[in-house]
Amino acid sequence: MKSGERNYSGSNREPSLKGTLISVGVLGLVIVISWFAVFALFISR
Amino acid sequence: MHLHKFEKLWLLSGVGALALFLVILGFGAFYLGTHPQSHGITIDPANIEAEEAFQPENLGLTKVDDDKYIVNVVATAFNYDLGVDEDGNAVKNIKIPKGSTVLFQVVTPDVVHGFNIAGTNVNMMVEPGFISSMEVEMKQSGEFTLLCNEYCGVGHHMMFATVEVYE
Repeated sequence: MKSGERNYSGSNREPSLKGTLISVGVLGLVIVISWFAVFALFISR
Repeated sequence: MHLHKFEKLWLLSGVGALALFLVILGFGAFYLGTHPQSHGITIDPANIEAEEAFQPENLGLTKVDDDKYIVNVVATAFNYDLGVDEDGNAVKNIKIPKGSTVLFQVVTPDVVHGFNIAGTNVNMMVEPGFISSMEVEMKQSGEFTLLCNEYCGVGHHMMFATVEVYE
């Protein structure tokens, strides 16, 4: 397989979405952390 | 429709987060009674003095009990009327002891103003026709700026006062 080509040769093989899952997870974590940070700021003031 | 198992995972967390936020919103609105600071209480903007709290002698800081204060303010373009001191000068600095509970009541006879004590949770919109109020405990000492954060006209940036919270 050439670099840059996605790993979905064959009809019943799924593409690897590991990188996407990690990106989505990181984004979700950023949102959750900022929500709690803002809430903590509100409570402390 | 075929979905990758990872896709199911993040779609589920997205939908779950949305549901959670709606529950928090509903909890705040219906159980805690959170709503806009006007509280739906109206006042005639052309005759604000009909309300006792906003007569000139009742403006500014008033002590009602130990650690309990009321601050009545008339916000106009481009000034916060916090009453006058003994010499008849306009008050531009109010001093509140730390840890006291303060009820802010603000009205405006003209346009929409903001009422924000920067660095605290005091932040509300002041609309003509409504009495905006909120009660807060001043937890932190220091000097805070009370400012207008709703653009109200050419003198908007000159609309400020200071609030001193002392130990």
